[in-house]
Amino acid sequence: MIEWLEFKNIKALRDTRLPLSRFTLIVGPNGSGKSTVLQAIQALGHKRSWTRDEIRTAGVAEIEPPLIRGGSDSGEFTWRPDAAVYLLGNRHTRIQGPGEVVDAFHRSRLFSFNADEIAKPVRLLPEIELDEKGGGLAGVLDRIRDLHPERFEAINQELGRWIPEFDRILFETPVEGMRAIVLRTRQGGHKIKARDLSAGTLIALALLTLAYLPEPPTIVCLEEPDRGLHPRLLRDVRDALYRLAYPESTGEKRDPVQVIATTHNPFFLDLFREHPEEIVIAEKDGLEVKFSRLSERPDLNEILGDAPLSEVWFSGVLGGVPKGA
Amino acid sequence: MKLAYLSESEADEAALKILTEAVLKRSTQAIPLAGLRHRGWPAVQNALPAVLRALHYHTDAEGLVILVDSNCSPPHLPAHDPGGAAETKCRLCQLRRIADETLSKVHARSHAPPLRVAVGLAVPAIEAWLLCGVNPHVTEAAWFNALQSRDSKKPYSRQSLKEELYGTSRPWLALEKAKMAEAARRLAKDLSQLKTSFPNGFGTFAETLQGWVTRSS
Repeated sequence: MIEWLEFKNIKALRDTRLPLSRFTLIVGPNGSGKSTVLQAIQALGHKRSWTRDEIRTAGVAEIEPPLIRGGSDSGEFTWRPDAAVYLLGNRHTRIQGPGEVVDAFHRSRLFSFNADEIAKPVRLLPEIELDEKGGGLAGVLDRIRDLHPERFEAINQELGRWIPEFDRILFETPVEGMRAIVLRTRQGGHKIKARDLSAGTLIALALLTLAYLPEPPTIVCLEEPDRGLHPRLLRDVRDALYRLAYPESTGEKRDPVQVIATTHNPFFLDLFREHPEEIVIAEKDGLEVKFSRLSERPDLNEILGDAPLSEVWFSGVLGGVPKGA
Repeated sequence: MKLAYLSESEADEAALKILTEAVLKRSTQAIPLAGLRHRGWPAVQNALPAVLRALHYHTDAEGLVILVDSNCSPPHLPAHDPGGAAETKCRLCQLRRIADETLSKVHARSHAPPLRVAVGLAVPAIEAWLLCGVNPHVTEAAWFNALQSRDSKKPYSRQSLKEELYGTSRPWLALEKAKMAEAARRLAKDLSQLKTSFPNGFGTFAETLQGWVTRSS
């Protein structure tokens, strides 16, 4: 597990350290570097990486190079955008550090689901994966149905609970070699094509699929997983993310996935009140960004009292709100 | 009897319905506004007047059954009951007061008898009720004594209660629902221990419900 990341001169992250847990929810104002953190994790693991220009911090001299350092249960590591790519095992990497870390980042994925992309028919490929926007979902579900029918049934069951108007995921073949998702209505058995489904339904289906992947990524970064979903569904979204991060609590026999998510949704934040160690507040002070675990506030219980976490957060006393707004 | 339930989640509602029916010794009928939810304290206070007016005017519900957790607020005490000095921070008393005030202002309805309200206060959370008979240390008195004590250390926490009931402090909804319903069914066979261990949050709630049966018959 990645325990912390330290960023120097990476976009808005001039010099800051981010504490991480098995599950981390980052809240903070726009422009406080939440998305940069997720993109950085993505960049750490992949050959096509950031260039200096793409990550330049405004006002920082050219001689101060961008750098990411980190700590994990396997040891510390560093990454620079212009470090030479080398081969470690079968991985090309710029990370200087333990092989386990290189592997973890290589198998990390960033998701920022977009309903239009999720709805698109896909070409069936043997190694198809969910892409960043949720594209490929039809192919991933088709594979799960064929290779892991018990998981496919579980996804159907959960979908029926989350969105009771539907009772089954079906597929259509718009042209040879392509697959598209169709949902069957519980009443009347009508087949609704993916392109006609609501954005929330498609995003819910993508989240559920991610939670039930037989071999999920080692690190999952999620931009606003609550986006487009009804507030009453957010408990289910939390459960789905916990399923990835704490497989033992659901009877799953696989390694935990490290989940890092962002949100602006007060209803979603409230669901983590009992685990303040999982919440990181991003605080913007002028050009500086600071991250701190909510649980590290010694006065947290006194401040919160009986008030909902979201309301206290919104008030600004916990930080993580836009200055002057 | 046609009842509506106002609780924090689907899982709470399932357990609350089982316990309510056990007290009433009869099954209850769902009403059109099923699945009423609140998002904990203080959201329930804000939503309650609207919920009551909707039930009163637009349904034939005979009663609204509410369940809230006390968390660290003062537990309900007999001295708060009608005629006693209502404790301003007691959630059960606060909800009763809101219900009385709201229902005193609605026009009489001809399509159903007056709406009644029963409030249960789980001290500190519903998991404590559901561990009754399993963990003898989890009682209203134990929690009350801890709140009164200068030592801020509590004998248990919401998290530890969850771990004990569900085997994890992060239960997913289906597990929570199943475990809660299982525990509620066990308690429904004999409510005496629950009334003894939680005399004010559950006992008072049960008395209110029993009053409905007495008045109906």
